[in-house]
Amino acid sequence: MSAEIPVIELRNVDKHYGPLHVLQHINLSVGKGEVLVLIGPSGSGKSTLCRTINRLETIDSGEILIEGQPLPQEGKELAQMRAEIGMVFQSFNLFAHKTILDNVTLGPREVLKMPKDAAEKEAMELLTRVGVDAQAHKVPAQLSGGQQQRVAIARSLAMHPKAMLFDEPTSALDPEMINEVLDVMVELAREGMTMVVVTHEMNFARRVSNRVVFMADGQIVEEGTPSEFFDNPQTARAKEFLDSIRGH
Amino acid sequence: MSAHTVSMRDALYEAPGPKTRRRTRIITGISLVLVAIGVGLIVRQFYVTGQLDAKCWSFFLRQGTWRYLFNGFLGTMRVAATAGVISLVLGVVFMLGRTSGIKPLEVISRVIIDFFRGVPSLLLIYFFYLALPQYGLRISAFWMITLPVALAASGVLAEVFRAGVNAVPKGQTEAALSIGLTPGKTMFKIILPQALRIVVPSLISQLVVVVKDTTVAYVVSYPDLMQNARVLITNNDALVQVYFVVAILYILVNYGINQLSIYMARRSGNPIISRTTENPT
Repeated sequence: MSAEIPVIELRNVDKHYGPLHVLQHINLSVGKGEVLVLIGPSGSGKSTLCRTINRLETIDSGEILIEGQPLPQEGKELAQMRAEIGMVFQSFNLFAHKTILDNVTLGPREVLKMPKDAAEKEAMELLTRVGVDAQAHKVPAQLSGGQQQRVAIARSLAMHPKAMLFDEPTSALDPEMINEVLDVMVELAREGMTMVVVTHEMNFARRVSNRVVFMADGQIVEEGTPSEFFDNPQTARAKEFLDSIRGH
Repeated sequence: MSAHTVSMRDALYEAPGPKTRRRTRIITGISLVLVAIGVGLIVRQFYVTGQLDAKCWSFFLRQGTWRYLFNGFLGTMRVAATAGVISLVLGVVFMLGRTSGIKPLEVISRVIIDFFRGVPSLLLIYFFYLALPQYGLRISAFWMITLPVALAASGVLAEVFRAGVNAVPKGQTEAALSIGLTPGKTMFKIILPQALRIVVPSLISQLVVVVKDTTVAYVVSYPDLMQNARVLITNNDALVQVYFVVAILYILVNYGINQLSIYMARRSGNPIISRTTENPT
């Protein structure tokens, strides 16, 4: 490894759900500007892993470091750290009672204490960038799933995050809307955003990621560059998984 | 959007076929006849006993009667509105305590909520009316009726609010935390506003209960509608007539509150709950 401090680092992370050992001795680091894709069968722990990084899931033991600093456990420090790491959810989770514009400005205004005008100006720029500026004054329920997810990305970007977590961002979308969201993510990756993406979109993983991490049964089974992993998987478990999704 | 509103009947039962429709018509006819007979018997009984005689109703022609009733009505409204506001505030406070995640606070809030939910409001009134003065605590008749009614309602409202907070999808909390809001801000900016919209109909029906609870004001001799009605009855020897008019007044008030709740539920509920929940997996 180079001398540069990784943006995100997990050391010997373990987590149990009752008797279920969902994360087993996870060691992982994500460098600045790296796009890391987590794939694996459902129940493999990839979403849980993603959610531990901003402490939406707690861990039993091990360490999580953000730019070399341990992840705070609570209070203002935790909120501050979360503000610096964007998160995009499978089910969008836009604030249902607020307009699209207010969804994007809420964080900057409440957390970064930005004045209203500046926050709205920047929010409109972000909404234009993800192509939903025309919907700024609607409420989330009036938007399509693809539009909502793009707003969710804009909401995260408004906080100027150091890194972004994507927890199956396209899994709840109708097929024709998947690409409009992936396009935004591809552009983000090109601009050098540090990203951790849990996804089933193999084309995205192959085209955009720097590194693919394959998980099964709570463990990291294999990791490598996209071409290494997809063209020449080393483990039987990974081969089996790739065969099963290429079945037809 | 209201064109898509599904009525409760449509949601619960399938559309009736020809046989069901005929059966429905027959049963409706029989019911109407029975109700008509019942009403007829009641009116006849009143007529026979002279309750419908003009002299039993004539005091309603006097302005003073109505002014007196109106004053009582105002008293009822004052108590109901004040108790309503207090119970809303206390309800939110108790709910926040109960969901705070701080164990001792949760236990205390829970005991308070269960206490006020479990104790009849009349018992609370007796406490304020009979017990407190013995310890030198004197409060006006207004507060002797308002506080117990408010406290009794606050326990129920705390649980109503809690149900509302629980009904807000967990993803809303996670999204709020993930952009760096503190848990407190998440509650006040994201969860509570949505919870309130969800529980508006229940809140309003609880307000109806508050209005009805105020009717025991006569215990503390506070001049509400019920108390003034009792005075009118004694003065005019007209129990049936006065209670008849008073019942209609109460029904009108509560009907108004219910209409308000329907209006507010339509206004606030619709755009939020229509599409965001499309969420497979």
